Parts: sequence; C-alpha cells; structure tokens
Amino acid sequence: MEKIRFKVQLACVALLNLGLFQWQNVCFPVLNCHSCPVAVFSCPVGIIGQFVGLGLIPLSVVGIVALAGLTVGRFLCGWVCPFGFVQDLLYKVPYVKFDIPRWTRFVKYGVFVGLVIAVPVFLTPGFPVYFCRLCPVATVESAIPWAVINGTTDILSLSIRLVVLFAIVVAAMGHRRFFCKVICPLGAILAPLNRFALLFPKRDENCIDCGLCNKVCPMKTKPDQAKFGVYDNAPEECVSCLDCRKKCPTDSIKLWG
Amino acid sequence: MVRRILFFLLLTLSVVMTIYGGFFRKFLVYDNLEKFDKLKNVGISIKVPGYAGSTANFKPESQWFSEPEMVRAMTFEGVKRYRDGKLISNYPDLRMLKGRIPCPT
Repeated sequence: MEKIRFKVQLACVALLNLGLFQWQNVCFPVLNCHSCPVAVFSCPVGIIGQFVGLGLIPLSVVGIVALAGLTVGRFLCGWVCPFGFVQDLLYKVPYVKFDIPRWTRFVKYGVFVGLVIAVPVFLTPGFPVYFCRLCPVATVESAIPWAVINGTTDILSLSIRLVVLFAIVVAAMGHRRFFCKVICPLGAILAPLNRFALLFPKRDENCIDCGLCNKVCPMKTKPDQAKFGVYDNAPEECVSCLDCRKKCPTDSIKLWG
Repeated sequence: MVRRILFFLLLTLSVVMTIYGGFFRKFLVYDNLEKFDKLKNVGISIKVPGYAGSTANFKPESQWFSEPEMVRAMTFEGVKRYRDGKLISNYPDLRMLKGRIPCPT
C-alpha cells in the first residue's frame, strides 16, 4: 500500500503542476500554490484569503472544499497533497525524531482564523504575516522560482519566507507530517469534515485492540495518548494513509464499507 | 442518525454553494478608478491598448465577472476595493484581468 501511495502522490505532484495548461478558475482542495509557474489549479487557501480581504466569500471554492471534505476528507492530504508528499520524504531523512504535545493540533485552526481570515479582513492580504506571505509551499513553488526567473528586489520578504521554510523542513524531518498536523489551514478546514467523510478507515469486529496501528500512525501526537489508532481518538486528523492497515495483524482495517 | 442528517445537510449546502458560485454569481468590477483620479488631477496620459485618445476621453468601464473569473483574477491579486466600496481592477486596465498568468506573490 505504501508503494501505491508513493506512486499516486508522485503522479498527483506531476498532474497538479503539469504546466501544459492552466485552469485557475477552479480550486483544487490541496495546498498547491497557484503562483507556481506550472501550477494547474488555484489554491483554495490563497483564494479564500484574497476574497475575505474584499469582504466576500468565495462560494464555489468553499463549496468545492466542503464537497471534497465530505466525500474523501483528508484522504486528499494523505494521497494527493504535494506538500504532504514532500513531508513524507523529509521524514525519511535520518534526523533526530521527536514527539509534539497533543494540543499542537489545534494550532492550525488558529492559523486559519488568524493568518488566513483575520489578517486580510482587518489589515490587508499584502501584510507580511498573511498566510500566503509565509506559506512554505508558496516559497518553494512560487517565491523561489520567480526570484530565479525575474530576480527579486524584496530580499527581506524572501529571507523571512526562507527562514519559515527552513524551520518547517527541519520540523518535518523530526516529526512526521508536522505541517499537516500543526499548521496547515486547509487541514483545518478539512479536519472537521473528516468526521463525515465517506472515504475513511474503519475497524471491523476482527480487531484485537493490539494497538499496533497506533505506533505507525503518522498523525498521532503522543502514542500513549491515542487509543486505537488516530481514527478513533481524533478522526479529524486521519489522512487515510493506511499505514495502520499494513501493520494490522488481523487485517481488520478497511478504507470504506 | 444525527450524523447522517448532518452529512446530507452539509452535502446539499456545499453542492448548492458550488453550483451557485460556479455558474450564477456575478461581480461588477470597475476599471481602475484610482488611475482616473490621477489622470483627472494631474492630466497625465498612459499607454494602455484601446486608450489611445486624450485623457479627456477616458471613461471608467465596468464588466461583470463570474466567480470563477474572479477566482482567476485573485490568483494574481487583480481586484481590490475602491474608497466607495466598488470592486476595481488592481491593474491599469480592466481587460488585463482576463487571460493573464499569475504574478509572483
């Protein structure tokens, strides 16, 4: 399953950044910056921030994200999101591994409300702490490529971006899916809908509560605080990676049904 | 049962939002009114295709944008609010909003 997921993630990175055509009238509900020279779709977080800055709600964008959340939920984070894929790769780098407190998963809701909504509404989307100005995905996919293509005069802004990116890369090497768990504002939108998602891992009656699923779950915070896998304890965090299914001795975990 | 009802309510709401926003919602976007203010005050002329005439002939234009067109325009921060609350082009000409590729953030 891990190999299939790797291939799917790789294909999605390529498809979302094909560069052959741009269909940016439409948002695709993953964190993939539309300012990337080769991005195909718009980023919902960037569009929501820009719209609320004008005092509007982008109904089609919110609708698409909600539809995705209700049908496939955070499966998108686990299988489709390019930055999720990058984090999966970063965690494979030999580095000091660490746990983070359980409360940190609530930080992303604050990031969404504060940096994506409040900053554009009360200040402006041009303000330096607006989420897109700090977003590591925008730094990798947009700020750096455009700085190389066009050159940049805003060294300070680029430097701040690079510092944030470096910090998140280091954190992602030490803690699996750190950005998804703690910071991602799109994760904050999809997480509450994950409780309703049709595509979601479920345990059947064969489960012996061995807790092996717990140990491999990338979205757990502290292993001793989770019950029977993250999908029981905090279903909003599950990215449907199915690493738990691979370890399950009784094969009692199914993605649907 | 409650969960199922809530699921169908949210699903219906999101479908309605997507269809209304995607196909029916329109925004009236005006040409860059700040440009016209400047022109009025200073009397400068700018080189914009279609505005070859004198500054006296310039008139603010407006255009209806569908929400997907607005989404595209917002990918390069193409629309902002004027002082009186009107949506205006962030670029010298309204027509620059359609068919433009995103700029670096």
